[in-house]
Amino acid sequence: MVDQPMQQEHAPGGWLRAALSSRNLLLGLALSLVFVGAALLSFLWTPFDVTKLDIPNKLMTPSATHWFGTDHFGRDIFSMIMVGARTSIAVALVAVSIGMALGVPLGLAAAARSGGWLDEIIMRANDLVFAFPALLIAIMITAIFGPSALNAIIAIGIFNVPVFARITRGSALALWGRDYVLSARVSGKGAVRISAEHILPNIANLLIVQGTIQFSLGILAEAGLSYVGLGAQPPIPSWGRMLADSQTMISFAPHLAMFPGFSILFTVLGLNLMGDGLRDIFDPRIRRGRG
Amino acid sequence: MSLLEISDLSLEIHGEPILSAVSMSVEAGKILGVIGESGSGKSMTAFSVMRLLPRGARTGGAITLNGVDIVAAPEATMCAMRGRDIAMVFQEPMTALNPVQTIGAQVAETVVVHGRANRAEARAIARETLNRVGLPEADFPMSRYPHELSGGQRQRVVIAMAIALRPRLLIADEPTTALDVTTQAQILALLKRLVVEDNMGMMMITHDLAVVANLADDIVIMKSGEVVEVGPAKSLFRTMSHPYTKALFAASSHVPARAAPGAEAAPPLLTVKSVSRDYILPRTTIFGATKMFRAVNNVSFTINRGESLGLVGESGCGKSTLTRAILGLEDVQAGEILVDGDPVFAGHSVNIAVRRKMQVVFQDPYGSFNPRHKVARLVGEPFHLLESPPTGQKRHDAIADALESVGLATSDEQKYIHEFSGGQRQRIAIARALVIKPALIILDEAVSALDVSIRAQILDLLAALSDRFGLTYLFISHDLSVVRSITDRVLVMKAGEIVEQGETSHVFDHPDHEYTRTLINAAPRLPTARRA
Repeated sequence: MVDQPMQQEHAPGGWLRAALSSRNLLLGLALSLVFVGAALLSFLWTPFDVTKLDIPNKLMTPSATHWFGTDHFGRDIFSMIMVGARTSIAVALVAVSIGMALGVPLGLAAAARSGGWLDEIIMRANDLVFAFPALLIAIMITAIFGPSALNAIIAIGIFNVPVFARITRGSALALWGRDYVLSARVSGKGAVRISAEHILPNIANLLIVQGTIQFSLGILAEAGLSYVGLGAQPPIPSWGRMLADSQTMISFAPHLAMFPGFSILFTVLGLNLMGDGLRDIFDPRIRRGRG
Repeated sequence: MSLLEISDLSLEIHGEPILSAVSMSVEAGKILGVIGESGSGKSMTAFSVMRLLPRGARTGGAITLNGVDIVAAPEATMCAMRGRDIAMVFQEPMTALNPVQTIGAQVAETVVVHGRANRAEARAIARETLNRVGLPEADFPMSRYPHELSGGQRQRVVIAMAIALRPRLLIADEPTTALDVTTQAQILALLKRLVVEDNMGMMMITHDLAVVANLADDIVIMKSGEVVEVGPAKSLFRTMSHPYTKALFAASSHVPARAAPGAEAAPPLLTVKSVSRDYILPRTTIFGATKMFRAVNNVSFTINRGESLGLVGESGCGKSTLTRAILGLEDVQAGEILVDGDPVFAGHSVNIAVRRKMQVVFQDPYGSFNPRHKVARLVGEPFHLLESPPTGQKRHDAIADALESVGLATSDEQKYIHEFSGGQRQRIAIARALVIKPALIILDEAVSALDVSIRAQILDLLAALSDRFGLTYLFISHDLSVVRSITDRVLVMKAGEIVEQGETSHVFDHPDHEYTRTLINAAPRLPTARRA
């Protein structure tokens, strides 16, 4: 009667094949891995010490010794980019984790009590946080606690909470209407258990995709905060502050701005492509359409 | 020469054969019924005629409409023909219309697309077409939106869109499957009238023999991509040369063998006493008083142990609300529900001891399972209700027992749900209901989404399980023939109230209430399958 073909939600092997045939995903993964690799490598080795000043060799253009050239204190830009990747990734990763750890449970709770007072409180509080841009929150926090990488993390993390709460609530609400949730309720399971066993596993893919997108936004936000001087403090290198330092010298030393700029561009591009690719793989309808 | 001539049609999608050697023809002014179960290729035949096939499809053979070869025609020609010469009506009226456009605009759109008229003329044509499908201007102005209409009215709009340009061929793919029986009867009558008025050919695709039996002039029966039997509707059911036709026919009117219900001396298992359930309607104005909608109004009935009780009613009659109340998912405003004398709701919290005695099987075999769990975990879910759920080997044995009693292998418990067909999934749903050995199983349209032959098997299974485990069923359905075949007593529900109840055979043969009579008369019947 229902002339519906068998749904192939997770055909074995299909997942991997889809991943390998997705151009977006592979390109995004490659770009992201380059920067993650650079960040990891920087713990063990960098071409030069990023804190060592070498004024005689300042503002050198790219060469065999200094691959990306040197800045106005003679520090090696390639090394600074590597260590800066560390800062960017750490800030974004922790900020996304804060957003997920708080936002997802809040969203699940709001969906489980949809229409009730708990839902209202959570979602209106979300609206309140949403009304402030991340930068504004960061300025408020630094005004109170002083500028540091940690405060940047907290500010970006707070901004992520309503994003995850919303996406969780929206997709969880659709699942609460499913028959399998109804039959779990018939089996006497409570809202917490149903959320953990039936709702969360079925929205995990959405959350992962949103996570990669928020991750790239986190890197942008960290760069923005550092640019205005509210992020990581010297001498810790940061892509955003490298950009800020370079702006007065952009007419005679453009490479100072170019390399951190491109680093931000390619990392964010890579993460977004990866997010797109992951979404295509997780959503069977899109996968079939593009197959 | 016929209007539509399909000869020796074959279809492959990504190298997989879908249709082979399919031949059929539709005459102008006649109705061809195409009958088959899921996967029989009946819908793919229709899509071949429209040439709306998925990517990777390769067709062979010939399809000619009015002498024009459809298989070879360029896409531009097909675009011009779709909607103008061939039109299609789909199953689901709820999603076939654009919710943000008025019905008038949507009907006029098809006219404008084909460049037959300017906007003003198109609107005039749309108005006239809406009148023809039984949506008169006084009650249904063109400015209505789809959400303001009922399912049957929406299907009329869909039909109006299809026939606005007076196509020569109308393809109707399960046009009444999603509708209630009384609405179905009206839509079928409308289609029949339009075919005669416009001298249009119609291809009516359905899984339901009874629907086409009294409607179609000719019938084609399909199975696994092939035509197994063709013939005039009048004689086909008498001759029935192919065994599959006979099997299909038998399955459609299948009555499972059941033991006679036991003595009724014991106190009833389920007692529903003057239950009412109100819903708060969304406010229409900010300061207006909230209005209430009474979904279930003062309903009382009992089910005896070992009995099978049917609950019949059309959509929106309050069946589902009542089911949820019995299951203890929602509290009621008035009255009480007792199982074995204990209330389902003690105070305002659910009585777990009572819930253990009830399980439920839902309609949709595709939506009733979490796709990320294995069968063992899915079937074992109701163990949660028990005070000391079985663990280890005991749990494993209980699940294996439940799977075996519904006719599945023990090894199936390590599989995921997508590896099963619709019928098998419904068996798993029954296994899940059985696993804690409840006394009462509520079957909420449990066989409505299944093919007739699968449906017959599931009905047999239910009857056998009831005899074996002494189960009591509350069988909720809109399908009268199914209710008739498996229940001892039946309740007829309309607008939140029970209008008639009694022994099934008595109610069906001698309905007292006007509404019951309407329902029974509207239900399509097989020509020779009237049971004594």
